[in-house]
Amino acid sequence: MERTEILNIMNMIMTKKGRSEITDESQSTREVNFRSLDFSETALRIEFKIGTELSFEAASMRKIETVKDVLDFFEEATKGV
Amino acid sequence: MTNLCDLNFVHFGDVSVDIAGLRAQAAVALGARDLSAERCVFVVDSVREALGCVVYGMSDDLDFGVVERARLSPEVLGRFAENHVQLRNAHDGSVVGSVVAADQVEAGRVTVLTSGTTGLFKLISHTAATLNTFERVDVLPANTWFMPYQIGSYAWYQMVALCLFKEGQGLIPGDFSDLAASFEGAIARGLVTAISSTPTFWRYALMSIDEDTLKSAQLRSISMGGEIVDQAILDRLAALYPQARIRHIYASSEAGAAIVVSDGKAGFKAELLERTDSTIGVKMEEGRLYIRSPYANRADEGGWVDTEDLVEQRGDRIYFLGRVGNTMINVGGQKVFPQDIEAHLMAHEEVVWARVIARKAPLMGALPVASIVLRKQMDEMAAERMLTAHCEAVLAEYATPRMWNFLSDIPMKDSLKS
Repeated sequence: MERTEILNIMNMIMTKKGRSEITDESQSTREVNFRSLDFSETALRIEFKIGTELSFEAASMRKIETVKDVLDFFEEATKGV
Repeated sequence: MTNLCDLNFVHFGDVSVDIAGLRAQAAVALGARDLSAERCVFVVDSVREALGCVVYGMSDDLDFGVVERARLSPEVLGRFAENHVQLRNAHDGSVVGSVVAADQVEAGRVTVLTSGTTGLFKLISHTAATLNTFERVDVLPANTWFMPYQIGSYAWYQMVALCLFKEGQGLIPGDFSDLAASFEGAIARGLVTAISSTPTFWRYALMSIDEDTLKSAQLRSISMGGEIVDQAILDRLAALYPQARIRHIYASSEAGAAIVVSDGKAGFKAELLERTDSTIGVKMEEGRLYIRSPYANRADEGGWVDTEDLVEQRGDRIYFLGRVGNTMINVGGQKVFPQDIEAHLMAHEEVVWARVIARKAPLMGALPVASIVLRKQMDEMAAERMLTAHCEAVLAEYATPRMWNFLSDIPMKDSLKS
């Protein structure tokens, strides 16, 4: 899945929760208030969009700190799907 | 020979037949055969035929039951055969399928069919005494009950037993092919004064029948059961029918009728757990509800039935949380009960029906996902924002559904549950 599509999903969740949209990939998820529940919701929405259940690597998830990490993570997870 | 209320009426559209008439009709079809030496289930093609068989079977203390022909499948036929139940056509008593080897016959046993929450077809043994749950009610005002239940189910038999054993209680069987139209027809004929149903049936009726028609029903008594009864539906019905006595009844095909609540509130009073003077006992152990009832068809040595329903005390009331094994959602270690979320969603004025389930999700383990039927169509994103805000105002963040599925109709099952 394209990075911009993933970012759109993240921003849809941010807007729904009444938070500002993410514009800077280098910001930490904590700074922009993108929480674990939002991460899980993003995963579900991506799965719904591509119509298949993804398998996620726990070790990669633990390393996530920035918005860029989130985008990299989902980009990698959806590669070849 | 069991005595029945021969003068009570059953109304089939514009035709009314009394109990004696139903017995005579079944006697013409079945009277030539001696059915006293077998356990049989009559295969019926109409509700009138089914009621005739029940009147006939109960009058003659047969070991019997009824099943709709449309429900017969290889699995169902196999279940009857392994229980030594002979299937017979209701219209002439001839054998359906193969002849089954006879086993122990119990005069007066009534075979009740249930698909249970597991979906497995089960045969539950009852008698007129365990089905007649109104037996201890001395004074029952005369009523004509709309009966929307599936033929042969426990709830159906309870309503039939009411008509057979309590004077002044008439029935209007609903047409299962179009329950809303048959309810509307019963209202238009001005006959219906009472109804026993499920919360899902009412949500379906509220969506399918216009409010003025519903309001025109002169309902004096409304009973609900079979599912968790939430505050939103109780309030909605109280507003529509201020003159009616609204009760919710906790009953199951195995525990029998046990708890009747008529104070207009969801759940039941915790003081019921303390009562020792009652015929029916209620206790809570490790969050599970146990019932001791003379209407139960099975129990442990102390007479208690494990209902497998989860309950919780909040203040001075006990609330139902759902069934053991398929209820709790674990969101990152936080426990959420879907029924709590559903009840909150259904309290929103734009929501007619809600169902919340768990969906596997990375990091949190699971997230609550909601299916919703809205009162009127609206933009889905706007509806999602509206309901998310509604949940976040009261529920914990982890209990707020994250995915929303908007349906056009309530997915009501044959059991009138959803």
